[in-house]
Amino acid sequence: MKNIKKLFVCILVSVTFSCNDAIDIDQPGLLLSENAFGSVSDLNDGLIGVYGGFDNTQEILLNAIFTDEITLGLVNGGQNRNSYGLILTSASPTPFTMWTKYYIALANINRLIKGASFLTPESTEVDQYNSILGQAYALRAYAHFQLQTYFSTDYTDDSTTGVIALNFVPEIGQEVARNTNGEVFDFINSDLVLANSLLSDDTSDPTFINKDFVTALRARMALYREDYTLASTLASSLLTNYPLANSSVFPNIWTDDSNGEIIFKLERVENDPYSGQGLAGGGTAGSLFAFGNSTLSGSPFMEMDRNLYNSFDPADVRLSTYIDPSSLIDTDYQNSIDYKNTDVLVIRKYPGSGGINLLNDLKIFRSSEMLFIMAEAEAANNQLGNVATLIKQLRDSRFTTPQPLPTYADQTAAFADILDERRKELALEGHRWVDIKRIGSKAGKTLEREPLDCAEVGVCTMSNTDKRFTMPIPLAELDVNSLLTQNPGY
Amino acid sequence: MKTKFSGILTLFLAFVVQISFAQQKTIAGTIADENNLPLPGVNVVVSGTNAGAQTDFDGNYSIGAPIGSTITYSFVGYKTIEKTVGGANNISFAMEVDVAAIEEVVIVAYGATSTKPTSNVAVQSVSSQTIETRPNASLIQTLQGQASGLNITTGSGQPGANSEINLRGVGSINGNTEPLFIMDGIPIDQDNFRSLNPSEISSVSILKDAGATAIYGNRGANGVVIITTKRGKYNSEFKVNYTSITSISNLQANDYNLMNSTEQLQLERTDGTGRGAGLGDAEIAAIARYANTDWVNVFFRQSLTQNHTLNFSNGGKNVNTFTSLGYFEQKGILVQSGLQRFNFRSNVSGKSKDERFNYGTSLSLNFSKNNEPNAIGGGAVNRNFVLGAYQSLPYIAPEEYVPGEGGSIPPQFSLTPLLLLDRLATYERTENEIKMLANINFSYKLSDYVTANTSLGADFTEEQRLRTEGPDSFNSVFFAGVGEDLPGTQDQQMTRTIGLNVVNSLIYANTFNDLHTLDAGIYTEYFKAHLRTFGFRAQGLDPRTFFPGDGGGFVDDNGDNDFYIDLANANINNAGLFSYFANANYDYDKKYGFGATIRRDASYRFSSTNRWGTFYSVSGRWNIDKESFMATSPFSLLKLRASYGTTGNQDIVGSTGQFAPFGGANLTLDTFITGSGYGNQNSIVTSQIGNSNLKWETITQGNIGLDWEVFNSRFSGSLDFYNKETSDVFQFQPTAAYTGTTGLFVNSGELINKGVDLTLRYDVLKSDKGLNLKVNFVGNYNKSERFGANDSTIEEGGKLFQYYSLDYAGVNPATGNILFVDINGNLTENPDPDTDRKFTDKNRFPDYQGSFGFDVDYKGFFVTTQFNYIIGVDRFDNDYAGFIDPDNIGNFRHSRDILRAWTPDNRVTDIPSLDATNLDLAGTRFLQSADYLRLRFVNFGYSFSREQLDAFKLNSVKIFVNAENLVTLSGWRGYDAESTIANGSRNYPTPRSVSFGLEIGL
Repeated sequence: MKNIKKLFVCILVSVTFSCNDAIDIDQPGLLLSENAFGSVSDLNDGLIGVYGGFDNTQEILLNAIFTDEITLGLVNGGQNRNSYGLILTSASPTPFTMWTKYYIALANINRLIKGASFLTPESTEVDQYNSILGQAYALRAYAHFQLQTYFSTDYTDDSTTGVIALNFVPEIGQEVARNTNGEVFDFINSDLVLANSLLSDDTSDPTFINKDFVTALRARMALYREDYTLASTLASSLLTNYPLANSSVFPNIWTDDSNGEIIFKLERVENDPYSGQGLAGGGTAGSLFAFGNSTLSGSPFMEMDRNLYNSFDPADVRLSTYIDPSSLIDTDYQNSIDYKNTDVLVIRKYPGSGGINLLNDLKIFRSSEMLFIMAEAEAANNQLGNVATLIKQLRDSRFTTPQPLPTYADQTAAFADILDERRKELALEGHRWVDIKRIGSKAGKTLEREPLDCAEVGVCTMSNTDKRFTMPIPLAELDVNSLLTQNPGY
Repeated sequence: MKTKFSGILTLFLAFVVQISFAQQKTIAGTIADENNLPLPGVNVVVSGTNAGAQTDFDGNYSIGAPIGSTITYSFVGYKTIEKTVGGANNISFAMEVDVAAIEEVVIVAYGATSTKPTSNVAVQSVSSQTIETRPNASLIQTLQGQASGLNITTGSGQPGANSEINLRGVGSINGNTEPLFIMDGIPIDQDNFRSLNPSEISSVSILKDAGATAIYGNRGANGVVIITTKRGKYNSEFKVNYTSITSISNLQANDYNLMNSTEQLQLERTDGTGRGAGLGDAEIAAIARYANTDWVNVFFRQSLTQNHTLNFSNGGKNVNTFTSLGYFEQKGILVQSGLQRFNFRSNVSGKSKDERFNYGTSLSLNFSKNNEPNAIGGGAVNRNFVLGAYQSLPYIAPEEYVPGEGGSIPPQFSLTPLLLLDRLATYERTENEIKMLANINFSYKLSDYVTANTSLGADFTEEQRLRTEGPDSFNSVFFAGVGEDLPGTQDQQMTRTIGLNVVNSLIYANTFNDLHTLDAGIYTEYFKAHLRTFGFRAQGLDPRTFFPGDGGGFVDDNGDNDFYIDLANANINNAGLFSYFANANYDYDKKYGFGATIRRDASYRFSSTNRWGTFYSVSGRWNIDKESFMATSPFSLLKLRASYGTTGNQDIVGSTGQFAPFGGANLTLDTFITGSGYGNQNSIVTSQIGNSNLKWETITQGNIGLDWEVFNSRFSGSLDFYNKETSDVFQFQPTAAYTGTTGLFVNSGELINKGVDLTLRYDVLKSDKGLNLKVNFVGNYNKSERFGANDSTIEEGGKLFQYYSLDYAGVNPATGNILFVDINGNLTENPDPDTDRKFTDKNRFPDYQGSFGFDVDYKGFFVTTQFNYIIGVDRFDNDYAGFIDPDNIGNFRHSRDILRAWTPDNRVTDIPSLDATNLDLAGTRFLQSADYLRLRFVNFGYSFSREQLDAFKLNSVKIFVNAENLVTLSGWRGYDAESTIANGSRNYPTPRSVSFGLEIGL
């Protein structure tokens, strides 16, 4: 009734005056940005929001599909066909998603850091305040590092073009150019130093950033930059603190029942922003491969590449962990009249947790990667015996029986074995494409797809120096930033 | 009523007659209308005297007149007849409709009317006659092809489906592009005509140029369509009219040449994929004997539509009423689709005794129940019935589906039809809608020249949507979590919107010296809209107590898991506009006219600095036929018109339907949202980077037009040239992601639509009681140009929404792979999918579109036809792409075309090798012309004459049979050449319908 009264008043006065009630409308339920960060508690909520922007399912898919980890599955209705056909241009969705995901995350982090700078915490809040900022700086470093990983041509060359390093949020329309690799890595390092000074010494929760995350990131970055001494030192300290899981614990890592050898993982639980988005490559890691669940009846639209499957020893606990028992294994698959239907390798690396199918924590740093870092450092120093010892150490923890000590004829063979072992150990964790880019040449290897699998798209391989081992800068970004330069070959 | 009024009138007649009785001969008679029904109220005047009479309710009159004098008979809408008094005492005849006069009244802005000769603007009318007999649930589908420049495309066969409406091209890129619809003074939701009864409509006016639409400044940018519903007439008899139409609809035909079971299995055998792999001829024959299902016949059906409308109208001296009841029920041709609707309308007009005070009310109450399967057009094999109809394998039999066992169907593409049969059995989606349109308007004559008016209108819609996925269904079981034993969901959603519109005005009208006529008005308009929604999703349904819509089967949350937590939602939005404006029209001796409008508008969508926009128009005309040098010409009308002006668009994001006023409400603000974040902890995140500079999108339109009527008005027409420039176009401007967003709405760039509208009408044959034949044509040519997109995939100055794609060149005879023309004009099998793309100058909008047809009547028989044509539409035929996709072998159905595929022995062909290595690059391969010529409507009927009906005490009876979409000539191979979807597949085509109708007047 009130409205009707207003209406009539309005009618009366409206002949000469405006009815501001019709045009000055504040919609309910809005939180304006100027009111967002009013307290340390708000900052904490903001940090949780920032974490929500971090998700590596796109990396998992990219590394799997542009290489030889997965193939088009039994119920593939066109999903990922173009990527599997190695079609990658500046207009492709993959580089766009990778670039925008991390730059939007960076904008949110920089807004949070700026919001924090206006707050003076109470003495009881100082620790929390510092911890929030420390995590923010570490996430900023990680976001820049991920961008470097996918958009820089050569991690070892500090003078080549890197991505854009940002400690502020550019205005709409503001153009910012790419930095050099050296500048970006320096930026990341200084963020990590800052993060370390702000974070507490508590490293018990692997689902939040702590000092071990910082160390792991530094180790990985040092490896990529081929600073082997630093890489090995950092990795070794983590491997000591996070011993490898044995073959009985290993399967539990993937059902999230164990935090064995996990240095950092992104937590995924029911009712979080990712859990509701099931289908076909959205949200949860397991939904990159299947519509319903990680069994044969869960509609697998992506399967494990038969070549990767064949590379596993049948007794390897990783094989029985990564492949679902309901899979159809055709021992004579090469002579099958209908290979697609008789040989179905259903992926179970992300089977689900807490009753939710296909929803699992995303493992970012595991100590097995630290072991590989050490092994690669030894290989680079031509200490092939040390490489063999480390690789055996890993294999021993993946089998119920001790494994033979490998021997390597030369450095290339050592790198090749590291690359092959990484392919098995880190399968579907977002490493394969980066690994071929980094050490494919050193190992003398590139994609190894099963010919029967890739026949479907008619594209089976590409050189380990192909331009597609660097993502193109997305067209949409080039269109709006004239200072941005495209990567070579695109 | 009748008796009383007859009495009064008879007294009046008697009085007139008595005065002149003694001196003169008395002439009496009966005047009828064109249908030989008595015509009351005809003015009968003896020329040169004051003596006059009116016909009574039975059409009878009596008047005294000297022999040799002339009696004139006149009535609005009919030609004036003169008769000389001779020896006979009885003069009786039927009046003849003055077509020109009826058409002359043109309804323009805010209830004003104009006549055809004195209108300065581009406006076209559609009368009720062309609407009434059509079986379409939506008025909009009927308007297709009725007015030049009005392009209506219906993309779905869902009964009452929303159509896309564009007037003179697409005027915005992201904003609203559909005209403003005003029904009896109420701005209404342009996407929701499913609840309204087309039979209640009296006329539709389409306002096209700036001269006509500028007065609707804030929402008139895309043209304005004014709908007037039927009303009673003062001093008219109680009339009852009943119309019944029954229609049978079917799916239109396709030209895909699809395989049967045997062929499909043989194809699978050849390819070594699917059930046919490795089978012998006998085994294939056995399966084919078992099943050869055309799933189109399972998921589509012949459907029945019933439409009944009962109208009453009545009029006294100071009040008249029109009441209408309607019932409509249509089953869609696709399973589970349908519409059921009840309508009630009451329109009342009244005036004070001195006729200074006038009022009118329009009240329309509508209830509809809509069954609308969703996921149509999508690729979900477990949800889209159309996919199931088109693509399911013929060797599967419907009997393979066991009701209640959906959860155990293996989730394979080849079992698509069984998944969909399960959905059909376990899924329900209904929308119950109450729609109320109400308007009341008052006017009071302050003096002879000044009138004050107020109009209050409301458009109220309440929709309740129910959606359930049963606990035993495949979809529930398949997507259930581990240990979720009672899956299934029920969603209920209530959406309520109301839009209130108040217009106050002061109108001045005067004529000086019989030469100068001035009409002027000042106005304010206030618009406010409110949206309230709430709903829930119940997760977990117990099959023992579950019933769709009932809560008995809801499963409660438990401590073990969160599967059965119910989800609630609610939303409040408010919107508003405010405007004040003025207009003036000046006429000199019906020879020259000039009009001007100015308007200030404010929208709640913009920040306070950009809130107001000013829009204006000027228009003029020259009635050349009135010049003395034209005195001997055959032209009864020759008028040159010109207009120029601006209109504004504030509907930034093009939200549709009920939500149109509310979309993009906060785009000027930087906002955060709260909600579940990482690890399901509470979080705040940036939700929007605002653009505080958002402002009105402005359309500037120039129009030059010519209207003519020649050779006793037998040949008439209009020709208009227009140029429409949209500036400050709302675009989703991509931004660098480091700003925190990948794009936001900005005003940038320009969009130009230029074109020609042509309307022609020719009375080929015209005779009193014999054969009449009229032909008509409406046509439009439109060309769009887009500038300033800041996106390298959009061509500067190119057509709006043109395709940018790899240029397909055929199949390489050497390899069987696909060939493309690269950017340098060379043939290649391996184009760069990014840099070898080209602009095609093709889009899904027509260059030329319109209709033509003829009307014939002969002694009560009549035939009406309407042929629609569309030229210059190109769309991707992705249904066909699926039918010849080798990857679909084993899972879906194929076209026999795939048998022509390249092989070393069959090198010259249009179908690439099944093993071609570059099939994933389609480019323009499936881009097809969707031009068509369609017999959109044909109607054949018979009107019974007065003599035939006398015995039954009926006024009029008309029977007819008509057909919609009877014949379509098109190169398009799919089920329906008409579609709003550029790049889609598996959509719901519009049907072909045949109807039988009956119209009775009492």
